[in-house]
Amino acid sequence: MSSSLHLSAIRKWFLQSPPVEWCLQHSRELLLGALRQGPVPEHIAFVMDGNRRFARQHQIETIEGHNLGFEALARVLEVCYKSGVKVVTVYAFSIENFKRSKYEVEALMDMAKVKLAEMAVHGALLDRYGAKIQFLGQKDMVRPDVLEAIDTAIEMTKGNSRAILNICAPYTSRDEMTAAIRETVIDYSKPATPLKRPFSATHIARNILSDTNPTSDPSSRNPSPNPSATTSGLSLDASPETSPTTAPSNSRSTSSLTQNFPDPENINAETITSHTFTAGMPPLDLLIRTSGVERLSDFMLWQCHQNTEIVFLDCLWPEFDLWKFMPVLVEWQWRKRQGEDPDFNRGRRRKRAADMAKGNHMSEGAFLPGKLKVAS
Amino acid sequence: MSKFTNKDEEAAFHRNATVDGRPLEPHEREAFFNRYLPPTPNSHSPSPARGDRSHLQQSSSKKQPRKTHLRALIMSQVHLLIYTLIHFFFSIYIRIRRMYHAVVNRFMSVMYYHHRTPELIAKDVKALDRVPDHLSVVLELRQDDGLEGLLEDVAEVAAWCCSAQIGMLSIYEKTGILKSYQQQTHRAITRNLHAYFGPPPARPTVSLRAPHMEAYSPPSTPLSPFPGPDPFHINVLLLSADDGRNTMVDLTKTLAEMSQRGKLRAEDVTADVIDIELRDGVMGEPDLLLLFGERVVLDGYPPWQVRLTEIFHVPDNTEGVGYQVFLAALHRYAKAQMRFGR
Repeated sequence: MSSSLHLSAIRKWFLQSPPVEWCLQHSRELLLGALRQGPVPEHIAFVMDGNRRFARQHQIETIEGHNLGFEALARVLEVCYKSGVKVVTVYAFSIENFKRSKYEVEALMDMAKVKLAEMAVHGALLDRYGAKIQFLGQKDMVRPDVLEAIDTAIEMTKGNSRAILNICAPYTSRDEMTAAIRETVIDYSKPATPLKRPFSATHIARNILSDTNPTSDPSSRNPSPNPSATTSGLSLDASPETSPTTAPSNSRSTSSLTQNFPDPENINAETITSHTFTAGMPPLDLLIRTSGVERLSDFMLWQCHQNTEIVFLDCLWPEFDLWKFMPVLVEWQWRKRQGEDPDFNRGRRRKRAADMAKGNHMSEGAFLPGKLKVAS
Repeated sequence: MSKFTNKDEEAAFHRNATVDGRPLEPHEREAFFNRYLPPTPNSHSPSPARGDRSHLQQSSSKKQPRKTHLRALIMSQVHLLIYTLIHFFFSIYIRIRRMYHAVVNRFMSVMYYHHRTPELIAKDVKALDRVPDHLSVVLELRQDDGLEGLLEDVAEVAAWCCSAQIGMLSIYEKTGILKSYQQQTHRAITRNLHAYFGPPPARPTVSLRAPHMEAYSPPSTPLSPFPGPDPFHINVLLLSADDGRNTMVDLTKTLAEMSQRGKLRAEDVTADVIDIELRDGVMGEPDLLLLFGERVVLDGYPPWQVRLTEIFHVPDNTEGVGYQVFLAALHRYAKAQMRFGR
C-alpha cells in the first residue's frame, strides 16, 4: 500500500515540474473553455463518499482522508464554476453521521471550523468566484462555535450572485421534505389578510336573496354574523380523500372565505418545492456519487427523482478530479444534444450571432456553418 | 508565477505551516493559491458564462483593442474546435462502448437463460447470502408493443421473483396504465406462473394491489384445497407517477386542512408521521430498485421511499427487461461476483 503512495509522490513530482505544470494548466483551461461551448448543467449535486475508505486504503488518519476530500471539493468547484455551472450542492454531513464515533465527529467539526475560518480570512479572494455559500440543513444541531464560523461565511459571501455553493450539513432529505411540508402546513393555517374588494359579499347575497329566492333557509340569509358553526360542521364530515371536487370543495371554499384560510386544494408540488432548501434554484441536472455505492442515502430525494441524471462512479472522493469529472460532463452534454438536436443547433447559432454582434466584427463568420455541421 | 515549486511546499500548505514549521501567514497562503483563482470580476461585465477570458480582454482592451479582439476570436474558435473534437471522439467512444455492452449483455443472456424453469432460477440465487425482501422495478410502456409488451414484462419479472423467493414486488410504470388493467395484469401474471410452475399446488398465488385502490383479488380461489405446504405467495404492487410527489402533495393538503381546523399543530408534522402515512398509503422502502433502462433516471419514482434503496442498472442496457439484468441485480445486492456459467 505504501508503495502506491511513493509512486504517487514520484508522479506528483513529475506533474509539478514547471513545464509539465504549465502545459497541464493550459490544457485544463482549454478544456474548460471548450466545454463551455456546449450545454452545461445548471445545477450539480455531489455525494462526497469514500474519504474514510481512501484513508483506510492508504493507511492514513481518517481525518486526513476528510482533509483530502476537502481539497478534492475545491478542485471540483473550480472546474464547475469555470465551466459555467451555476449551483453546486454537496452532501457534507448527514444527520445520521452524528452516530459515528464522537472522536471523528469532533474532528470533522474542527476541520469545518478551520476551513471556514480560513475562508473568512481570504474573503476577497473568494469573491472572485462570485460564489455565495449557503448551508442547508439543521443548523441548530451544529456546535455553537462552528455555527458562528458558518454564519460568518454566509454573511461574507451573501453579496455574490454568480454562483451558489450549497453545503448540506447536517442534512437528510427526509428531514428537508418534512420541514417543507411543515412550512406549507403553517403557511396554509395562517389566516390570510382579508381581501379588499369594492364589493361586499353580504350585500350581494342579500340582493340575490331578496330578488329571486325569498323563501330560502334562514342560515344562508345572514351569512356574516356567525358562519363558522355551520361551515365547520359541514367540512368536518367531508373527508378530503373521498370526493374533493364535489360537495366538500363547496363547503371548504365558504369556510376559507369566512375564516380567510387559503384553500389547501391550491397546494401542489411547486408549493412544496418552494419550501425546500433549494427553493428558487434551477432544477437538479446531474447528481454524482463517488465510491461505487449505488444509493441516494437520503440526499436530494425530492429534487432528483424526476429528470435528474444520476451517476455512480467507482472512484473514491479524494481521487475525484477534472479527468474523472469530464467524461461525465461530456456524456451529459452528448445526451442533451441527442435529446434536443435541432433546438441545440439553433441555440448555438443564436449564441454565435450574439458573439459576433458583441464586437467580434471580423469577417470569418463565413466558415462557421461548416464548423457547425461537423459539430452536429 | 510558479505555485508549488516542490512538494515540500505543497505539504507545508496542507498542514498550514511553512517548510521550516512556522505557521503560515494569511498573505503567504494567498500567494500560494493566488494563481489558481480567476481574476477579479469586473462590475461592468455581467456575463459569467464567458468567464475569465472576457475579463482579461476588458482590462487590457484600452491599450490594444485590435489585438485582443483577434485573440478572443481565435480563442473562441479554438474552443469550438476542441469542443467539436471532444464530441466527435466521444460519439465514437460511446458507440463502441454501447456495442461492447450489448455484446456482453447478449452473452450473459445466453449464459444465464432461465428456460422457464423455476429450479434453474432457484439454483442461480442459491449461492447468494441475501435476497431483497422487497424488490422494485421500473418498467416502461414502449411505443411498439404497448400494453401487451408491458404485461409480458410484468409477468416475467413476477415469475422470476417467485422463483427467487422474493415475496414483495412493486412495479413502477410512469403512466399508471397497469392500474386501470388490474384484471388483465393479474391474469397475465397467473398465466405466466402456470407456465413456469405448473398447475395450482405448485403454482404460487398472487395478490395484486395499487395504492389508494381496492385490491384486486381473483374470483373465488379456495385457499389451498390441496394437502401439503402452502404455495408461495407474492404481493404485487402497482405504482405510477401519481404515487410520488402527488401523494405527498395530497398528504400535505390533508395535514393543512387538519391544521386549519385546529386538529393538528405544526409541530406534530414529523418525519415519523409522514413515514407512517406513506408506508401505509403507498409502500415501505424497497430494498432494491431495478432499472432496465440504460442510465439512472428515476422519472418520478416515489421520492420518500427511495431513501436507502440500492439502485441497480446495467450501463447501456438497451435490450429492456432481461433475466440476466435481474440476476446481476441480485448478485450486486448480495455483493457477490457473477461467475460465468452455472
